[in-house]
Amino acid sequence: MIPRGFDYFSPQTLEEALALVAEHGAEAKLLAGGHSLLPMMKLRLAAPGVLIDLGRISDLRAIREEGEQIVIGAMTTHAEIEKSGLLRRRAPLLAEAAAEIGDVQVRNRGTLGGALAHADPAADYPAAVLALDAELTLVSQRGTRTVAAQDFFVDLLTTALEPGEILTEIRFAADGPRTGSAYLKLHQPASGFAIVGVATRVQLDSKGKCEATAVGVTGVAPKAYRATQVERALKGKALNERIIAQAAGKAAAGVEPLSDLHASARYRKAMAEVFTRRALALALERARRRQ
Amino acid sequence: MMTKTRWVGKPLKRKEDPRLIQGLAHYVDDLALPGLRYAAIVRSPHAHARILGIRFAAALESPGVVAVLTGEDIRGKLGMVPVAADLPELKVPPHPPLALDKVRYVGEPVAVVVGDSRYRARDAAELVEVDYEPLPAVTNPEKALEKNSPLVHEQFKTNQACLWKLEGGFPDKAFKQAHRIVRQRFTNQRLIPVAMEPRGVVAQYDAGEELLTVWSSTQIPHLLRTQIAAMLGVPEMRVRVIAPEVGGGFGSKLNVYGEEALVAHLAMKLGRPVKWIESRRENFLSTIHGRDQINEVEVAVKRDGTLLALRCRIVADLGAYHQLLTPAIPTLTGLLLLGAYKIPAVKIEYVGVFTNKMATDAYRGAGRPEATFLIERMMDLVAMELKQDPAEIRLKNFPQPKDFPYATPTGVIYDSGDYAAALKKALAQVGYKKLRQEQKRLWKQGRYLGVGLSSYVEICAMGPSSQMPAGGWESATVRIEPTGKVTVLTGSSPHGQGQETSFAQLVAEELGLTPDDVIVIHGDTKAVPYGIGTFGSRATAVGGTAVYLSLQKLKQKLTRMAAHLLGVAPEQVVIGEGELFVKGKPRQAKKFLEVVQAAYVAKTLPPGFEPGLEATSFFEPSNFTFPFGTHVCVVEVERETGDVHIRRYVAVDDCGRVINPLLVDGQVHGGIVQSIGQALFEEAVYDENGQLVTGELMDYAIPRAWDVPRFETSRTVTPSPVNPMGVKGVGEAGTIGATPAVVNAVVDALRPLGIRDIAMPLKRERLWELFQKKRAR
Amino acid sequence: MKIQGNQTITAPREKVFRVLVDPQAIARLLPGCEELEPAGADTYDVKLKLGIAALSGSYQGTVKLAEQRPPERLRLEVTSRGPWGFADGAGTLELEEKKGKTLVHYAGEVKVGGMIASIGQRLLEGAARLVIGQFFKNLEKEASA
Repeated sequence: MIPRGFDYFSPQTLEEALALVAEHGAEAKLLAGGHSLLPMMKLRLAAPGVLIDLGRISDLRAIREEGEQIVIGAMTTHAEIEKSGLLRRRAPLLAEAAAEIGDVQVRNRGTLGGALAHADPAADYPAAVLALDAELTLVSQRGTRTVAAQDFFVDLLTTALEPGEILTEIRFAADGPRTGSAYLKLHQPASGFAIVGVATRVQLDSKGKCEATAVGVTGVAPKAYRATQVERALKGKALNERIIAQAAGKAAAGVEPLSDLHASARYRKAMAEVFTRRALALALERARRRQ
Repeated sequence: MMTKTRWVGKPLKRKEDPRLIQGLAHYVDDLALPGLRYAAIVRSPHAHARILGIRFAAALESPGVVAVLTGEDIRGKLGMVPVAADLPELKVPPHPPLALDKVRYVGEPVAVVVGDSRYRARDAAELVEVDYEPLPAVTNPEKALEKNSPLVHEQFKTNQACLWKLEGGFPDKAFKQAHRIVRQRFTNQRLIPVAMEPRGVVAQYDAGEELLTVWSSTQIPHLLRTQIAAMLGVPEMRVRVIAPEVGGGFGSKLNVYGEEALVAHLAMKLGRPVKWIESRRENFLSTIHGRDQINEVEVAVKRDGTLLALRCRIVADLGAYHQLLTPAIPTLTGLLLLGAYKIPAVKIEYVGVFTNKMATDAYRGAGRPEATFLIERMMDLVAMELKQDPAEIRLKNFPQPKDFPYATPTGVIYDSGDYAAALKKALAQVGYKKLRQEQKRLWKQGRYLGVGLSSYVEICAMGPSSQMPAGGWESATVRIEPTGKVTVLTGSSPHGQGQETSFAQLVAEELGLTPDDVIVIHGDTKAVPYGIGTFGSRATAVGGTAVYLSLQKLKQKLTRMAAHLLGVAPEQVVIGEGELFVKGKPRQAKKFLEVVQAAYVAKTLPPGFEPGLEATSFFEPSNFTFPFGTHVCVVEVERETGDVHIRRYVAVDDCGRVINPLLVDGQVHGGIVQSIGQALFEEAVYDENGQLVTGELMDYAIPRAWDVPRFETSRTVTPSPVNPMGVKGVGEAGTIGATPAVVNAVVDALRPLGIRDIAMPLKRERLWELFQKKRAR
Repeated sequence: MKIQGNQTITAPREKVFRVLVDPQAIARLLPGCEELEPAGADTYDVKLKLGIAALSGSYQGTVKLAEQRPPERLRLEVTSRGPWGFADGAGTLELEEKKGKTLVHYAGEVKVGGMIASIGQRLLEGAARLVIGQFFKNLEKEASA
């Protein structure tokens, strides 16, 4: 890797990091796992004058329970999320999405916070955190604020993060009873990014009817989104194959799908439907098993 | 030959692996020399443009920069990039290492910046400003042949670089008499070789010794030395080329690149060693590409499916300039186009075309994968049109074992073969009949299972010098050292094929030693006699034979020496394990080491016996070899997504005698993976402006481990009569045999849709579209 | 890459057209425009900082306002080049009066070369949409002011 020159800082605490971010402003980029930033620097598409490496701030690297909430530090790696027993037991959706990211090497280095803050339109996590109704904690020297996943993703590679802010953790509710989730993805064969990735959560009521669903879709549009029309079509229904298939038809309703070398807009739209249907069916099956 | 086999035929793990696995191997970029300078190359962002001016004052003043050179600085000082291919009336445009006046493809070198670190060199390269006047580009070879097309090289007044024709038998007559003519147009899409290690060059000039040393990641160190000497105007004995560990080539390093001479020139000019390491992006843009042919094929058949003749027009996109073998590659397609079949007549026309793209050249298989793809797809189309089974139509048209050597109407002579045996073995292994029943059952359920065959033959062991551009022989020196250990110097230049192991096995077998007693040295022109290099599946069949011949000379010397010591006639001496003994009297023996030492201390020698134990051979093959086999691929295509799932892959290959089956399997596996790449994923896409839009691994899909099935490999063994060991070569079998097996399988799966052909790569969306169209009908 | 779409601006057509041909305003319309200097008839030299998030770079270029047919039609030609290569765009803006508002139809083509073309495929369309979105957001702000 032959990037342009840059100054490098590796703060030991969040406070130090925040001070550095405040000091260097727009010239600085935060380095998390580096799996998006470093390739861009290698090509000199990105040339930040200052790199602030968050890798030594151990407080940002943890997965824990707080009552019915799961809290994950921003510097937790994909591999740690993928393999977390806690997540697999109590909220497997994010772990399932993590397992689909890149390859083993990428998962060993890449981090949750880095991926979310980069907001790649085809990244896997955004679909999952949307479907989990996660809240993201953004900290700066000015204070701490919480942003809902819905509001965090603004546009292509653009988030609600303000200058001086660091994403420190995300939190979301653990799955309750009769809840199932699934993340299914169609890989782009070259990069491994999602052509379509769909994260679903299905919660059944005591009578087995659909109490709520959440459907997060990535890869299709410039930013990941909630397929709210699908969710509305399922609410309160006794779910079956036919109803799910009908609802999934609205997976890309209201969005103008992207098209590129690997998939046309038409194909993306069709795959959004297929994978939404499959992910919902799988989540439903899992919900039924968690009576 | 070899009756006993203690080592030959054994699946030994590679001697090369420990250093590779442990990171102890040395590639070009690992080389650290005192005072090393680093080159960065400024490349054209335009596919076709006039260079109006280059401003580099800022770059030159940038910290650490020692030189900036443009085309003007080397005009007349550095020769053109050479082309060795020789075709009648071939148009050869000047190809300077740095562009002069015009650029003709994206990635063409325009200037070079040398700095005291690779970072500073890159920083300064960004400061070089080139004023371009963009010109219309042409990227489609068929459009390039049209009258009003932009011209890549104005002086030729056409973009046609060559026209090559081949005719054998009476093709036109056969077509008149045919029961049916089956026609199809195909595209063998452009591929990028993607060797794991990109190219890299280090050059150092010792002014005192007047010696230029060039380390390059190359497959052909000797040919490179000759060409660099010519380009620089330096006597060849003053140039030493070293190919250190080479991290894959696939033909992309069977070449002489402008950068190799340019870096050497810089080292001489600056009096400092200079290093240039290609980035992956540069590797995509400016290392040769492969394939890129448009093919119109027609086959004349009799009612019973017997093939009468084949006609083909090949339009090959050669890119903007010729590299070493560029225009010759499609002629190999022509020579192999009749495949494994007895087709009495052929007519081929190949048109080579200049376009504003990177040059194509030898990529694993080099012209033969294209041929196999065409004939094997045609065999399936013939079967389809005649409503016959694809296996039956193949069996019907194979030459029989008694027909060998079989002279084809293209002029090549297939050495040996039993094509039916390989096909039958593959069908038995895959359970062909049951699969066909399963297929019918699944079709009824709306599932799409397909079985694809490819019965390939390939041209290997390149080759007889009469048919090669720069010699087809190979050299080997075998030296038994005074300690009884053996050094092999081979002109082959292995870069992953494993000859350090297989040649050691060969030596151990012949001399009664173990492979650990042997070291194989290659890739250093100072150490190794002139050789040709590693490509065209030649290292074992040609290079190995040279080793074998040297071993025979040494065995004769050893037995003479032993006979002398034992007081018997040489004919009575036999080489055993670690010793030589008198035939029938194993107690009457001399240790191997004892015999060796006697030859070196030379106190008592047989009359006329030269001291020492070293022999050199140059083996000139009398013919190519023709490995063959049948691959069977079983796929299921997912209706909803168009995804192709490879369920089984059976490969029965016949590469003649096998020295190390593990190495053969490795070559076959790797080759099949690259074939799957061409069939399903890979495509170098240039847009209409000549921009390579698949410029990185993010967009150019090579198969990953999860994309490939477990391979079921096995073999038949039909020794080649062309060399004494009976070996044929296997380096390219996978890439030559497998692509049509995969494509045939997918097309077969989609037969219920009324599909006849699908363009490669068989991307999901392409297949999904076919299902959509069917639904719409 | 072909680009095509519609955008409504809440201002009368004459006003929108005036903004589109006003050099002062153009400097504010073009996303990332840092400098704009006249360079001949309806042509301006520009310095652009183009990009998204970490992916931004400085470009030198020209903007030409060609084929002006007030207040209904305008052709915009932009060339730019930077260390990653070049991006040239040309397209027409057709302004349609709609009840005191203006419906802008835009259609054109962007040619990119060098680094951006060969590695940016996956993000190119999204990035183009983003830049166009910014342009119209700026236009809205300028024209409705």
